[in-house]
Order: sequence, then structure tokens, then C-alpha cells
Amino acid sequence: MNLMTIQRYKNEIILMLTFIFAITAFYYKFSASDYVNKNRAIIQKQISEINTIESYKKQWANKGMANKVKLFKTIVPSAKVKRFSKKSSKLVASYINLTSNDLNKITNKLLNMPIQIVKFQIRESGKNRFSMEFTCKW
Amino acid sequence: MKPIMSLENSIDIILTPQFYTFIREELDLKFAYQAKQISESLFDDYLNNSHEYQYHVYKCDNRWCFIAYNINEIDTFLESIGIEKHRVSKIYFAQQLLDTVEFPILLDEKYVLQNIDDVVTLVPRQLMNPNIEYYPLDTNRFKLKNGVTMGSSLNSYVSLKETILLGSIFCILGGISIVEGNRIKASISKDDAKLTELLDENPRYTSSMSRESILAKYEPINRIERAKREAIKDISKFLSNRSQLKRLTIDKNKIRAEINTDNRTINRQVKEHARAKKFKVSGSSLAVKVEKNL
Repeated sequence: MNLMTIQRYKNEIILMLTFIFAITAFYYKFSASDYVNKNRAIIQKQISEINTIESYKKQWANKGMANKVKLFKTIVPSAKVKRFSKKSSKLVASYINLTSNDLNKITNKLLNMPIQIVKFQIRESGKNRFSMEFTCKW
Repeated sequence: MKPIMSLENSIDIILTPQFYTFIREELDLKFAYQAKQISESLFDDYLNNSHEYQYHVYKCDNRWCFIAYNINEIDTFLESIGIEKHRVSKIYFAQQLLDTVEFPILLDEKYVLQNIDDVVTLVPRQLMNPNIEYYPLDTNRFKLKNGVTMGSSLNSYVSLKETILLGSIFCILGGISIVEGNRIKASISKDDAKLTELLDENPRYTSSMSRESILAKYEPINRIERAKREAIKDISKFLSNRSQLKRLTIDKNKIRAEINTDNRTINRQVKEHARAKKFKVSGSSLAVKVEKNL
């Protein structure tokens, strides 16, 4: 293509180039939109999964729980603590002669603590007196 | 004219008046493209309608100078003297040398270029005064400007105006698309960066299988532990001065409770509340047994 031909079809060439530019740019926008649509849901799902895992681990596998559960030994007078056994990440505790207030206090603490309640038992042992036993892990 | 043997470089040519028609008009126009638009109509009475003409317009003093020429005729002439089209860089018209042609210029033995009333005219030498002194055409003495190219002189399928209009529209559409595309891509970059940061902190979560297995481990724990706590809270709401807890057990994802009530009315109320909370209710007389699978 010599210079004269270029000059002759200058307008057509300019139009063709600008048209190609517009089409390419439109394709770029379309592919960007397609990429985002395909990947946004995947990325957000991955973020959500990771956040959920982190949140679960923080809640149900909390390393600091070993210290926190020690309060179940002192929450009521020691005479009422029949058994308090903490091994590894498991706690077995049993209480006797608890009043309603003691019972509420221990239950509320237990329910508000992010630990897995494996076994839980409350039994009326006398008039307004209860015994309690639970096993939990974290 | 003698044929030119060969050209190695591009050349500019100056066309003498027999190759073009010249009109000078005083018009109230501001831009050359406006003048060009009306140029065809100006030459209506002067040109042969059977030929296709091209027009060159430029401003001369306070007037507009219009030149009509037939590029095919020029092309044929150039071929006849052995000048290849692609060797021609620019074409100029003798009229554009008006300031230079103050004195007659001898073109060859037969013709002279003469300024007559500010129009550069081709005059037969025979008509000139034999004693007149001629000057040579020295192209080094002046600078040629406002030339036209061979290619652009041939008519395009698309006009310049249409080219500018459509070209601008395409460019604007293209520009908008690129900006929009970048904006769309940027919208995901924040999430992408957050995910990269999370994965850098916890490389184990890169695999979806690993994530799913961890979730499968913790999701039932989370669901059941919450259900246990919810159930204990519900049972505590059944209790009052007239309904006391006798026994409560959580074992193997099942919660059971025995509640003693003081009278039948309280007994019925406890049962209704328990049913409303989707407990399985049993028991006779004043004792109520409630249980629920977690």
C-alpha cells in the first residue's frame, strides 16, 4: 500500500481505525463485566467461608478457654463442688446442694461461654436444693 | 514536454494555469471548510459537467481563492512525462506563486507565466514584448505552502465531515467503554485484595476442599450448641414459683426436662408454652415432661 493509496482512503482508514478502537474498547468492557460477574460471587463466597471458619475456630476452639473454665471451681463455695476435673481441653464438674441462685449462676456462665456442652444434668435433691453435673470441651 | 527518465526521491510539482480554473471571491466566511463546501457551486458555469473536479481553497488577503482541478487529467499528464504518482509529494498551483511572479517568468520557448490583474496567467511568448526581460523561476527564493496531495485529491467514499463526526463518536464510545471497563474491574479489586490478604494469613484455606472440611466440622457444632442454649433458656421460661424444675438432662443431642406444677392450670400453661416452643410434651397429673431433639 503506497502513500497515495493511504492518502486516497485516508477518511476510510481513520473511520476503520476508530471503529476498531470502539469495538475493542467495547469488548474490553464486556469482558471486564463478564470477569467481574463470574468472579465476584466466587471471591465473596471464599471470603465468607474463611471469615466463618475463623469465627467458628475463635468460638468453639478457643485456646484461652482452659483458664476461663477455672471459674467453675470457685463460682460456688468449695463445699458444693463435688468434682472438678480439667484435662487437656475437657472439663468434668459436679456440684451438690445448690440453691436456685447457685444453679442460675452456674448455668448462665456455662451458657454464655463458647464451649461444647457434651453432657448436662440438673436433678432436684431436696426442697429447693439441686445437684448438677456437666461435661464440656473446647 | 520531455519525459523524465527516473526519479529517486519524492518531488513537489507546481501546476501551470492550463491544469486548473481559478476564481477569487469576497465572501463572508470564517473557515476554509465552509468555503470548500460551496466551491462546487461557484464553478457551475465554468466547468465541464462531464468531468469530476477537485477543489482547493485558501485565503488570499481578505478574499477566498478557489481552484478547481481534475486530478485524473493531472495524473495522465504526469504519466505522459514519466512521473510516477507515488513520487509526487505535493501539488501546488501557479496562482499560489502570485507574490513571486512580479515579473514574467519564461517557462519554455513558447510560454511565459505572467501576473495579469493578480491572476497568474499562461501567456504565449509571441504575445510578449520582444525586448522584455524574463526572470527564471527560482524555487529557493520562496517557500511553498498550502499544497495538496495526490491521494487526498481523489474523492473519498466518506467525506471529511462524516469522518470527523463518525470518528469522534467511535472515539467517545471507545473511551467511555474503557473508562467503564476499568471502573468495573476496579469494583472487584477491593474484594480480591481482601481475599489475597486472608489467604496469605491462612494458606491452608486456599483449597476449597480444606475449607469445606473445616466448615463441615464446625457447622454442626455451632448449630447444636446454639440449639442447646436456646432450649435451656426456653425451659427456664417455663419455671416459676408454681412450676419447679425437677430434672434437666442434655445427652446425645437430646434435651429432656421434668417440671412439677402446683395445679392443673399452671400445668396446662406450661404444656402450652412447651408445645409453642416445639417441645414434645408428656406427663400426667401435675408433672410435665418436655423433650426436644437438637
